[in-house]
Amino acid sequence: MIVVTLQRKKCIGCNYCVELAPLQFQMSKKDGKAVLIRGIEKKGFYTIKSPDETIHEVCDLAAKACPTKIISVKIV
Amino acid sequence: MKNSDRIELMAPAGNFESLQAAITNGADSVFFGVDQLNMRARASINFTIEDLPEITKRCEERKIRTYLTLNTIIYDHDLSIIKTLLDAAKVAGITAVIAMDQAVISYARQIDMEVHISTQINITNIETVKFYALFADTMVMSRELSLRQVKKITEQVEKEQIKGPSGKLVEIEIFGHGALCMAVSGKCYLSLHSHNSSANRGACKQNCRKKYTVIDQETGFEIELDNEYMMSPEDLCTLDFLDQVIDTGIKVLKIEGRGRAPEYVAKVIKTYREAIDAYYDGSFSKEKVKNWMTELEKVYNRGFWSGYYLGQKLGEWSDIDGSKATQKKVYIGKGMHYFPKSKIAEFKIEAFDLTIGDTILITGPTTGVEEFELTEMLVNDKKLEKARKGDSCTIPVDFRIRMSDKLYKIVKNNP
Ligand code: SF4
Repeated sequence: MIVVTLQRKKCIGCNYCVELAPLQFQMSKKDGKAVLIRGIEKKGFYTIKSPDETIHEVCDLAAKACPTKIISVKIV
Repeated sequence: MKNSDRIELMAPAGNFESLQAAITNGADSVFFGVDQLNMRARASINFTIEDLPEITKRCEERKIRTYLTLNTIIYDHDLSIIKTLLDAAKVAGITAVIAMDQAVISYARQIDMEVHISTQINITNIETVKFYALFADTMVMSRELSLRQVKKITEQVEKEQIKGPSGKLVEIEIFGHGALCMAVSGKCYLSLHSHNSSANRGACKQNCRKKYTVIDQETGFEIELDNEYMMSPEDLCTLDFLDQVIDTGIKVLKIEGRGRAPEYVAKVIKTYREAIDAYYDGSFSKEKVKNWMTELEKVYNRGFWSGYYLGQKLGEWSDIDGSKATQKKVYIGKGMHYFPKSKIAEFKIEAFDLTIGDTILITGPTTGVEEFELTEMLVNDKKLEKARKGDSCTIPVDFRIRMSDKLYKIVKNNP
């Protein structure tokens, strides 16, 4: 299981994550920040849990590229 | 309040503490960012859209102009948020927007909002001024121009009667004090390349402020540098030649530092206010400059130089990581209560101690920044010389303090 988390508030809307993981991230037109697609919110942290381990690589690339380091990816 | 024959002193405001410090210490205008679309996107210090009415409320009372900084690169996904922001700014009565991207300029004009051109555009000549005069009433010149070049531009504005959308002559602004960029502002990609973190989206990682060594890959020899901070410019300071600055005919002097502490804003604005007023009443003197410089050195600085304004020397590099400030603040405690009738403030001491004769600093979102010498206090209701951690102490002050206020003492800084 892959768990991806986004701490949305600190996003500066640079679009990196969308370039690297376009099926998991998109930019919100409303506030110009990244959205973790189908993420469930808890105290400002958005999380998805996915059995599809193939997403690990792209999400990890996004996490590494994110200038504010607000994306985390874990295998559980 | 701006006196129209005098230059305008523009202060940075990263939060309500700094905003209040700017207001109290005599700024004519303030600039600030909201959320992520400004040059300090990373900072947790930005205001939110909901703060706009409070900002205008505080500033309008003192007839201080308010400028919203919205000067990053703009992508398609930002287009709707910039509209939301500009609409909210317009409703709140913000005076103008400081813009770089044409999308921001264009929308601001559509809703009839005053536009100022950001340093990110790097205006260096009169034709560019003419071009932006189609949209903007104020424009900041590139920090890399000399005063001679600035003067030529202001003279030309006058001569050719270059007017902005308001119908008045465009106002030429320059940076007066604060950090300088090692690149031409807005054209540095170091942080983007090393950390994916674009300076032009407000996320500069300040690579230029670090130490470097240079190694010859072929031989492995390290090239000797007399200063490892090889690309960290010292801070700009124009105070000692402020008379020449004003004589260029500029209309606005901008103080950099939205990321700096409120006491920095208080000190720098107070000093420049005095200097500008001294220029106009004819009392600007070497003696005064000396005292003002001592004041400025007390707060954050990487050493001072005149930037490129005097045109003579290139690159004065800082030789330290961080500040050369001669003093610093130490947290002592927090505000508990204010007794308005007796004008007594009560604080709880949470760290270190406080002694009669100490210089103390009180900061808070509504209080702003107040600094003075401690001449009397009661400690746990007794008249004492010293208050220690855990004590409650009361101090006579003639301004209201609040629970959100913090109490510091000022100590010497030995870097
Ligand atoms: S990479 Fe990080 S900062 Fe950039 S848009 Fe994605 S989440 Fe936001």
